[in-house]
Amino acid sequence: MIEIKNVSLWYDKNHQVLNDISETIQRGQTVVICGPSGSGKSSLLRCINGLEYFQKGDIIVNGVSVQDPDTNIHQLRSNIGMVFQHFELYPHMTAMENITLAPLRVRKKSKNEAEKKAMEILERVGIPEQALKYPAELSGGQKQRVAIARALAMEPKIMLFDEPTSALDPEMIKEVLDVMIDLAGEGMTMVVVTHEMGFAREVAHEIIFMDKGRMIEKGSGHDFFNHPKNERTRQFLSRILI
Amino acid sequence: MGFLNYTFDWSVLWRHPYGNMFIKGVVTTIHLSLLAWMIAVIVGIAIGIFRVLPIRSFRFAGSFYVQIFRNTPFLVQLFFWYFAAPLLLPEPAQEWLYDNVPNYAYWAGVAALGTYTASRVAEHFRSGLLAIPHDQYRAAYSTGLTTMQTYRYVIAPYAFRIIIPPFTTEFLTCFKNSSLAMTIGVMEVTHTAYYVDSFTSHGLETTTAASLVYLCIALCVALFMSFVEKRIYIPGMIARGQ
Ligand SMILES: Nc1ncnc2c1ncn2[C@@H]1O[C@H](COP(=O)(O)OP(=O)(O)OP(=O)(O)O)[C@@H](O)[C@H]1O
Ligand SMILES: [Mg+2]
Repeated sequence: MIEIKNVSLWYDKNHQVLNDISETIQRGQTVVICGPSGSGKSSLLRCINGLEYFQKGDIIVNGVSVQDPDTNIHQLRSNIGMVFQHFELYPHMTAMENITLAPLRVRKKSKNEAEKKAMEILERVGIPEQALKYPAELSGGQKQRVAIARALAMEPKIMLFDEPTSALDPEMIKEVLDVMIDLAGEGMTMVVVTHEMGFAREVAHEIIFMDKGRMIEKGSGHDFFNHPKNERTRQFLSRILI
Repeated sequence: MGFLNYTFDWSVLWRHPYGNMFIKGVVTTIHLSLLAWMIAVIVGIAIGIFRVLPIRSFRFAGSFYVQIFRNTPFLVQLFFWYFAAPLLLPEPAQEWLYDNVPNYAYWAGVAALGTYTASRVAEHFRSGLLAIPHDQYRAAYSTGLTTMQTYRYVIAPYAFRIIIPPFTTEFLTCFKNSSLAMTIGVMEVTHTAYYVDSFTSHGLETTTAASLVYLCIALCVALFMSFVEKRIYIPGMIARGQ
């Protein structure tokens, strides 16, 4: 479903951020990416939905090449949901308006239809009663669940998560992870940048460790935690799995 | 003649021919400032956008503009527009100007105040745009919104709310600065006060009246802006009632 082929990315001539990344993600799989700060995790995620231009390699999503000039990038993006570390809800819109903006403007749904669907999704993420609140009136966990609902409202085939729980207090992490675990269980294809290793163990089909723009190690949850091959991975795991 | 011997004669404010002069002065102050403000907003927003574009020559042009207009005294700029700018025109254009634009001073005042205020508006607008995190744009794009839609529904309303308070201040300053147009002979309200004093020696009354005019304008603007702020008030966005 997602084929990443030898992708390299530079922000400027002497700053290489991704170095020859290749990876294939099957439909319905959840892949977790971890690694130290600055290793290029967010950049890689952004390449997948064409938010970042990469100089080398190719990414094929659902048979469509992301950087092909003939590709309708807006249409491609509308089928890939994305969730950010700092939620990035539109602060001047209610939760409901946040969720229905793209269905109304991109999918050209009717207001009724979009709102009905939005309520269904809000129920699914457990906060239907927050529909008419503004982002500033929500807790961190609620904001992130609205952000997930906003992505789901486009009925995406793929979901990308960039450290969705890193900005949350511990007691709110669970409410967000539960939603993500549900999604994985329902067969959503997901790429998740996270350091929540409990989550990775439970749902990841594959875990990737990145460092300095390279994929250093990848394996199934079991192999990754119990028999890491690379010294850097071992060091990293020993630091985050206390 | 000491203060105690001064006999107030408020009738200089409405007595013929001074009453008409004052009305004209007030009207001139208002439309000169409003015209200048329109230029300031249009040019300012354009320059502000120039300064954040990913194209180096635009950024350079934008910051060149801002540096020139912000770092020279407004009075000097006013003199430039009045005395020097016409000399830069080709001779036929100069002649046309002298023959056909009897109130050239007025237009020089509008141009000077407009372009000067634009440099300040540009800076506020730029910092408003920069205050919006990159991921906010990405969140909008990731749902499939086009660039135009992203600016229209997400970025512009967001930036607008950030910059309302500094815009209000600039708008008021624009009115107050318009009084300097008297130095090039524009008969706005300050000049009128000075002029009427020169015939009647009732400067106390005339300057009081001019001050009250500015005060009234400021109050009207403040009232209007607080109405606007209330209309678009959103929890957690602009700080109200500073
Ligand atoms: N838009 C950008 N322009 C220039 N450099 C950037 C940009 N975005 C990221 N970088 C740089 O690229 C490198 C990789 O960034 P990236 O955000 O992909 O890392 P990350 O693994 O997600 O890190 P973190 O855990 O801190 O989020 C960093 O050195 C960062 O400073
Ligand atoms: Mg990151």
